[in-house]
Amino acid sequence: MFDTAVIRPIINLMLLIYRYLGQETIVAVALVTLLLRVVLTPLQLKQQKSAKAQQALRPKTEELQKKYKDDKEKLSQEQMKLYREAGINPAAGCLPLLIQLPLMIGLYQAINRVLAATPLQLLALPSDIYRWIPGMSSLIPLKSQFLWLDLALPDPYYVLPVLVVISAWYYQKLLTPQVADADSQSGAMNKQMQIMMPLMTGFFAATYASGLAVYFLISNLVGLLQYVLFRREYATGNASTGPGNDKARKSDRKATRAKAIRG
Amino acid sequence: MSIWRNLIHRPKIRAHRSTGFPSWRLSVVLLVLVLVSGCAGGGGRHQSWPGLLESNGTLYVANLEHVQALNSETGKVLWGFPSEEDSGAGPFYSVPLLAPDVADNGLLLVAGFKDKTVYGLALGASPAERPDELWRFDGAAGQYVGTGTVAGDLFIIGNGDGKVYALNLEDGAKLWEYATEDRVWAKPLVIDDRVYVASLDHFLYVLDLNSGAELWRFEAEGSISATPVLAGGDIWIGDFGSKLYQIDLEAQEVVWTFEANDWLWATPIEGDGVLYFADVSGNVYALNISDHMMVWDAPASVGDVVHGRPALSPDGALLYVAGFERGGLHAIDTATGNVRTSWGTVQESPGRLPGDLVTDGERLYSLPIMVPARVQSFSLVSGDLLWTAPPAE
Repeated sequence: MFDTAVIRPIINLMLLIYRYLGQETIVAVALVTLLLRVVLTPLQLKQQKSAKAQQALRPKTEELQKKYKDDKEKLSQEQMKLYREAGINPAAGCLPLLIQLPLMIGLYQAINRVLAATPLQLLALPSDIYRWIPGMSSLIPLKSQFLWLDLALPDPYYVLPVLVVISAWYYQKLLTPQVADADSQSGAMNKQMQIMMPLMTGFFAATYASGLAVYFLISNLVGLLQYVLFRREYATGNASTGPGNDKARKSDRKATRAKAIRG
Repeated sequence: MSIWRNLIHRPKIRAHRSTGFPSWRLSVVLLVLVLVSGCAGGGGRHQSWPGLLESNGTLYVANLEHVQALNSETGKVLWGFPSEEDSGAGPFYSVPLLAPDVADNGLLLVAGFKDKTVYGLALGASPAERPDELWRFDGAAGQYVGTGTVAGDLFIIGNGDGKVYALNLEDGAKLWEYATEDRVWAKPLVIDDRVYVASLDHFLYVLDLNSGAELWRFEAEGSISATPVLAGGDIWIGDFGSKLYQIDLEAQEVVWTFEANDWLWATPIEGDGVLYFADVSGNVYALNISDHMMVWDAPASVGDVVHGRPALSPDGALLYVAGFERGGLHAIDTATGNVRTSWGTVQESPGRLPGDLVTDGERLYSLPIMVPARVQSFSLVSGDLLWTAPPAE
């Protein structure tokens, strides 16, 4: 089911790009990664907005937690009321990620399959190809050589893994909110994330096919670009930037405009 | 400038006890990494592409982390290479090859997948004696999947780096190399002083045995992973474009083609003027070489993916075919094309059978993967399971 709905369409899209755009595997991998990231951008933005909104309400939820620490039911009711008043669905941050996850895992698997470093992997490919498109079989296996890389094997000089770690670290740094109190629990966790995540991604990039490292790198670069283009949505600002205060901000802006007109 | 500003300056937020990266998101990210690492095929137990050579009552098996020698009658393991302490060389995909006239008792040639190294192992006086490493060649950049060929004092083998290497059997020194455009997984075929080697780049190359110089080449529609077969004075080879080609060696051109129902991956086998070949959908064909007529009314079907080279019984009456996905062994009557339902052993968990089938005239050997049994021996006549290695609990 997952193969039919997710992996196979991605594999065949990759094969078509490979076929019509210069027969370079790295181009096919990069373009499909780029395409999928672009398609997923609205979902990611929605997710960021939701996270940002929840973040902005945190002081209030903490107040509620203190106030109703002995009455869990009341706390829950008050929290829901708070979210409702702010127009926030607490589950909204999770849903976009759940939709993105299968696609990203599918892309990862598709890249792994088309590169087919071993006979067993290559043997699995015929069932993944849309054979009703003429000439698809003759594309297999995709050309895996690119510069010093065999895309089906790990990068022997660790150039790609290093780039992956750097880009992942920077992306993580941008995505993670800076907290003034770095010694707090969340500050420590953020710091850990900023180090652990890039290192783990780098480990995968160094261990598995370098085509997958290309995928990690392109993903990170697209993430950085998204951050630049949609900074407002990504910036996890303080309470005054949260959607819970949208009405207040709007009325402030109206007042400023009216003042300017009167002036 | 604004791009850099956006990348460099970020709003600093007020600290709260529970702000920061939400813990559920951390869990999801870690879950993704675990999932993708599991999906990459690099973790866990290696699924090898096993191969086997039978020689004088001994089986030399390339499987997982070792090359092992087994007694062909009992399945008892005689020795393994490399030693248990040195497991970095494997896995071994390339079928071991024997050069009987080199060293005192013959030279066993094995090639590692991960360590990209060919080993020349001098066999001992008795089959049970551990071999000594005579030489090793680590000059290739890619992994060894296909096996090599011994021709005179040369060992010729293709590599994942797209090159074909000719090594001196005495010391492993490289005498020549030839670069193709893609991985070489097929065993080279040597006829007289010419080397015929197929590459995944769609070409069959014909090289001079002594110098490695290219003499001519033939382009197929798809990639070629099968070993070329010499039958009726011509070369026969199948490709991923589902075509079987008959190539005239003197004219250096294709004289006849046949289109199968699916990719032709398995190396064909010839017996009594008939060429038997199977496509990956499990259709088995019997082609009369002299008149290009099919022997059977319709292709036999084993209902499974066929990937390994079939084997023939000594009298040529039965053709044995391994089904990859369901792990079943099938015996096809070569006169009628009917699958003999009475032949074989029903196994609860047979695993998968990716490799070539091998016979020694008495037994049929298969190398399942994804099950504890690594080697299985069957009676050629009845298909009864004789032994497994390691033995079934």
